Amino acid sequence: MAQTPTVLHFSGHQYLRHRLVLGILSGKPVRIDKIRSDDKNPGLRDYEVSFLRLLERITNGTVIEISVTGTTILLKPGIIAGGAIVHDCPLSRAIGYYLEPVIMLAPFAKKPLQLTLRGITTDDNDLSVDIIRTVTLPHMQLFGVSEGLELRIKKRGSPPLGGGEVQFLCPIVKQVKTLNFVDPGKIKRIRGISHAVRVNPQFSNRMIEASRSVLNRYIPDIYLYSDVYKGEDSGKSPGYALSLLAESTTGAMHCSEAMSKPGVPPEDIALQASRALLAEVRRGGCVDRQHQVLVLLMMVLGSEDVGRCRMGEPTARTIQFLRDVKQCFGTAFKIVPADPSDLSTPDLLFSCYGVGYVNANRSLA
Amino acid sequence: MDSQTHKAHRPAQSGAKAEKKKSAKAKGKEKQHGFNEKAFAPKSGRRAERQGRRTAERDQTRLHVPLVDRTPDDQPPPTVVAVVGPPGVGKTTLMKSLIRRYTKQTLNQIHGPVTVVSGKKKRITFVECNNDLNSMIDIAKVADLVLLMIDGSYGFEMETFEFLNILQSHGFPKVIGVLTHLDLIKKAATLRATKKALKKRFWTEIYQGAKLFYLSGVLNGRYPDTEILNLSRFISVMKFRPLVFRNTHPYLLADRFEDLTPREEVRASKGKCDRTVTLYGYLRGTNYRLGTKVHIPGVGDLDVKSVQMLGDPCPLPDADSEKRRKLSEKKKLLIHAPMSDVGGVIYDKDAVYINVPGNFTKGGMDNPGEGEKMVLDLQDVSSTLEDVVAKSQIRLFGSSSRPLSVQAEAGPSRLGSSSDASEASRSEDEDSDNDEEDEAYSGEEDDESGSDDGFSDDDLDIPEDDEAVLGDHGRSAPRTVRRSMQGLSTSGSKRGQVDYAESDSDLGGEDEDDPGLSRHFVRFDDDDDAVDVPSGEEDEDDADVPQWKRNLAEKAQAAFEQSARSRRRKDWTKLIYNSTAPPETILGLDGSGDATSSGAPGMDDEDFFTIKSSAPAKAEEDLDRTKEPVNTDELKEWEDEELLDSIRHLFITGSSSQPAEGVDANGEPYEGMEDGEGFRNGDDEGMENGEGDDGEDHSSLNKDAAALAAKKAELKRKFDEQYDEPDAAKTDFYTEAKETMARQQKLNRAEFEDVLDPEARALLEGYRPGSYIRLELTSVPAEMVENFDPTYPIVVGGLLPSEERFGYVQVRIKRHRWFAKTLKTNDPLILSLGWRRFQTVPIYSLDDHSIRMRMLKYTPEHMHCYATFYGPAALPNTGFCAFNALSRDSPGFRVSATGVVLDIDRSTKIVKKLKLTGVPFKIFKNTAFIKDMFNSALEVAKFEGANIRTVSGIRGQVKKALPKPDGAFRAAFEDKILMSDIVFLRAWYSIQPRKFYNPVTSLLLSKKEDWQGMRLTGQVRREQGMKTPTNVNSIYKPVERPSRRFNPLKVPKKLQATLPYASKPKLMKPQHRATYMQKRAVIMEPEEKKAMALLQQVRALRKDQVVRRREKKEEKRAEHRKKVEKEEAKRSEKEREKKKEHMRAAGIKAKRDADAEGGRSSKRRKV
Repeated sequence: MAQTPTVLHFSGHQYLRHRLVLGILSGKPVRIDKIRSDDKNPGLRDYEVSFLRLLERITNGTVIEISVTGTTILLKPGIIAGGAIVHDCPLSRAIGYYLEPVIMLAPFAKKPLQLTLRGITTDDNDLSVDIIRTVTLPHMQLFGVSEGLELRIKKRGSPPLGGGEVQFLCPIVKQVKTLNFVDPGKIKRIRGISHAVRVNPQFSNRMIEASRSVLNRYIPDIYLYSDVYKGEDSGKSPGYALSLLAESTTGAMHCSEAMSKPGVPPEDIALQASRALLAEVRRGGCVDRQHQVLVLLMMVLGSEDVGRCRMGEPTARTIQFLRDVKQCFGTAFKIVPADPSDLSTPDLLFSCYGVGYVNANRSLA
Repeated sequence: MDSQTHKAHRPAQSGAKAEKKKSAKAKGKEKQHGFNEKAFAPKSGRRAERQGRRTAERDQTRLHVPLVDRTPDDQPPPTVVAVVGPPGVGKTTLMKSLIRRYTKQTLNQIHGPVTVVSGKKKRITFVECNNDLNSMIDIAKVADLVLLMIDGSYGFEMETFEFLNILQSHGFPKVIGVLTHLDLIKKAATLRATKKALKKRFWTEIYQGAKLFYLSGVLNGRYPDTEILNLSRFISVMKFRPLVFRNTHPYLLADRFEDLTPREEVRASKGKCDRTVTLYGYLRGTNYRLGTKVHIPGVGDLDVKSVQMLGDPCPLPDADSEKRRKLSEKKKLLIHAPMSDVGGVIYDKDAVYINVPGNFTKGGMDNPGEGEKMVLDLQDVSSTLEDVVAKSQIRLFGSSSRPLSVQAEAGPSRLGSSSDASEASRSEDEDSDNDEEDEAYSGEEDDESGSDDGFSDDDLDIPEDDEAVLGDHGRSAPRTVRRSMQGLSTSGSKRGQVDYAESDSDLGGEDEDDPGLSRHFVRFDDDDDAVDVPSGEEDEDDADVPQWKRNLAEKAQAAFEQSARSRRRKDWTKLIYNSTAPPETILGLDGSGDATSSGAPGMDDEDFFTIKSSAPAKAEEDLDRTKEPVNTDELKEWEDEELLDSIRHLFITGSSSQPAEGVDANGEPYEGMEDGEGFRNGDDEGMENGEGDDGEDHSSLNKDAAALAAKKAELKRKFDEQYDEPDAAKTDFYTEAKETMARQQKLNRAEFEDVLDPEARALLEGYRPGSYIRLELTSVPAEMVENFDPTYPIVVGGLLPSEERFGYVQVRIKRHRWFAKTLKTNDPLILSLGWRRFQTVPIYSLDDHSIRMRMLKYTPEHMHCYATFYGPAALPNTGFCAFNALSRDSPGFRVSATGVVLDIDRSTKIVKKLKLTGVPFKIFKNTAFIKDMFNSALEVAKFEGANIRTVSGIRGQVKKALPKPDGAFRAAFEDKILMSDIVFLRAWYSIQPRKFYNPVTSLLLSKKEDWQGMRLTGQVRREQGMKTPTNVNSIYKPVERPSRRFNPLKVPKKLQATLPYASKPKLMKPQHRATYMQKRAVIMEPEEKKAMALLQQVRALRKDQVVRRREKKEEKRAEHRKKVEKEEAKRSEKEREKKKEHMRAAGIKAKRDADAEGGRSSKRRKV
């Protein structure tokens, strides 16, 4: 008598992660086809398969069917279980790739999640663990996920060999709070973390100096930390990076980072990061581009009240995400200019009526 | 006599009497009947403190956890008032009386819910609940207020208690008890006693002080008007606390039900095909989101094909309608009861159905009335409405000779969308006017038809009947008339994006069909064109604002800079949700990013096309990445000092003014600065925004002014608050929580107010509670339509996404103390959980020292335990109640258990104990070889290291399998075991509940009470007359315990010799020869003989005395027995009388039940 629920149908390899996350959260099966079907190397990549494995481990009762060619997957979601999990990430993607969707799922698990991920901690494609720790997790605090939310960077690992390890601890919530965040405020402080592993530790200080040369003109409240990891904890490959974060008076955060490239002096890396931060600040809004998806998802999952958030222009990912949310939860956002009278700001006001998502996995026993 | 006037009393002005009165007044005698403050003033400090504490405590008990009420304040859905009670108690009479009280109409037959307007801001939906347990469950889930009817002359019945228990497990709405049939009790004293007893019981069941109403006899088929008036007052002032479950689910109580399946399809499949039906009702609970699945208890989970918001059929009076109201009471359109056929006019999405009482054939009427003639004329129509309209000619006046000539392109079908809308609204107005007329008219008709029941019975809209009628007599079935509802149609082309469109050019584009994705872009580009300078010049020509002409170049420059920075303002909602373009295209970047915008200004047009061309030329694989690739060229621009300075205003230290940016930052306070910005930009917008005309400019200015005023007001409020009451800011938690909720509620209401298009609004927030909606459901079982009975409520409950899924649900459960039997694991149980009613197979368990969940065979007495079953998930903390059988003939109390959901999972961890036994076949010191526990060495290998134990308590461990015999193993013990010992291994075997889920599909049956779920094996056997098969090994046999023979302990002589004396066995042989005393004879002396004889005589005398005494006692006993027997006989006689009395009462009840079964017509006569 169990009826078949409606299957969410997507195609293409892009946006795989948030689609699977939406499927698991809404409990609807997800079918994704045409995964690199035109590619000369068709099908799922190793990191995607690894991600599916991770999902299977975090959840209970999830059935994942992958076609022979690997171009189609069907995921029948189970419940989000949580608990202590260790996962080795392949070296093709950084830990951020896996951590991002997990952060979306973890608050709705049955038990608090203690996830240990091993692999590359910082690379050019995904958010580095520093950004996740200092920016992404504070974003979750806006929604009432705070007590016990932590990311511990045990070891750093730079590409190509990695060797890093992080531990992600996430509490569970019954329901996320409704967000009402319309005042971006003004930047009041800038923080940053620079690290250099298996290279001259002076690199880290050089980056800080260079970054200060750009940012000091705006505010004096700049603290850039030099994060030192030695020996085993510094991973298997040399590398250095700088991640910056600007926080406003109302708690809005913008971030940027730059990662070492061969043949580029650390000063240039620092300048790149600092300028990227300025560009990010100029884009405005209360939420920066990398975290739009996370914030919007949590807004959708809020209680049956109107949540509002001011953001800059949506990114391509955000746009696709909004469409997928509509397909998945049947709800849409109202997107209007934040200041209709003011054409100078490209800021938009995203408002939506939460679906009243309650953590059904939470156990009372 | 009348004219005689008495002298008025004149109070004494002076004298003793006057003095006395004056002194009394001075003492304040008249104060006595007021509140005496002194009486309650504390005498001592301690007492004062105690009193203060008590008031504080009482205040705290008054507080409840603040809950958000999701029902809107402005247009709340009607309150559901359910009338519940055993048959023959007067439910229908009460319904009629109450409806009569509110509408001044008497309904002859009440089917289904009846909605009436009860006040300025209040409506009530009355619904009668029949005696079926299924209906009671469904009603308990939707009722806001229950009028629980109790037969005063009989007392409480089992159903009442069952219903109360169902209510309790589903949130406990408000209950008002109504005692009826009190006129049957003649004696005043008995009446008082009965009232008191019933009230006491009622209060223990609900709460102390629960309202209980007494209704005396029936007058003219109704209860006395004054009593009903009182009851209605109580109903109207009732406050409802939001119930958690209903505040998280959308639901509606369907008051109308239509089958939309094509007739031909039904005919071809002989009525067996799945149907498409529509259900109508007021939405309650939370917002109904698109795509939400619904569950109809008694039918199952269903997909909603479409939802439409309809006009309110029973609208609350507003200022407008009050103005139009006539004095005549009949004109009041205050009742909505489609199932009861009131009024005869039913509105649908796009049609109006007029029910004509009775049926008539076309030719068979000699003198048709005016209305009938009109309907008959309508049937004669040979051409479609469109043709008629095309042919129609309009005369301005009835007397004018020539019709108006109309240009072809101005034909009605070509009206623009805006005029269309106004047209629609006008026609709607007309319609509603007509409706009122019709309503009143048919109301009168109804009264007439009341006399001939046969007609009105035919009138019930049973589809089959209609069909039959259609074949014979032409049309008498509901006829569809086109009736457009403004803005509620689903057609794609009319998808009014008016509110999104920013410019006229946009609007023009909308009227055409949706051009698909490419057209979107073109149009979008048009918008961009409009921004450009030329269009600004156009505006300049039109608008004669000289201000604009000044420093035009500067402003153009500024405008360009802004557009370069922020690009053009897009309509994001439309771009994201209404187009299928890939996100990159929408953003207008495909790797190129902002580089294009920083390029030439006139490149905007080409910008779009270049994207298209560059799209396929993608060599590198695009990863699913969060961080966008860093464009170093893009960052190069930050080397520019000006650019660096331009964002200074975004930092708290930003104080340098930047006139070029149009952003003011003069180091003013934060708010003040923003305002300045707003004003300046208002001007800018007017200029650069080519299409923005004068009015818009003004409006934006006004808006800014309004914003400023609002901000000032807010500041003033804050100041006042702090100045007046410094403590006001730190209120207690309760008020704070309440305030937060109120604020959020206000925001909820305000946020989407400006979205005018109902469809777009539905997408944003769903359909709001309080709106009258029509749900179209597909693939509904045909039986629901065929066996539709309006007396059974149809509840449509929305399901949360998590509730659609199935899994193992763990609940905390307690057998109801009134349920006679215990519950057994793996026996089917019917649960009412969430919206659903279903049968499932639970496994009961208890937490065993927090180590394991141990299965229980039976539920414990007076204790909660866990139960795990397979079924649809429900949110934790949802209450439920369980039944073993729903049918009426099941004896006793039917609610078998109640509980609450704890956990949802996809696997279970319940274990039951498994004991493996074996026997030793060889024993060494502490080692023994055990056999008969396992069958193979492999099994032994699995259990290596497991703990084992003998019956006598010697513990051991499984070591290793032996080669022979199969399954034997070596075990080590802490002591030497005996050959006679039994060795056992205690293991835990995990069990899973059976995946059995059987929804109670009672609404699909023709006899809805006779739903039959899965039966117990024993029941099936009994019904089929089969014997229970017996296992020979399970038969009890007399236990034979052969007495064990123990060999004597033999201590070797040598050893004995060495033992110390204390340890030596002290064994002695029994004596063989007679003893010395035994061998001797005794001869007595004469004195001794004498003494002996005397003793003997005394003994004989004594014996004789005892015997006589015993005889005497026996006599007395017999006498007593006789007496007792007599009394016994008397008592049994009394008992028999009592039994007879009881049976008589039972007989009366049975007869009444039978009467109720027999039909409502043959109702019990009231004395």
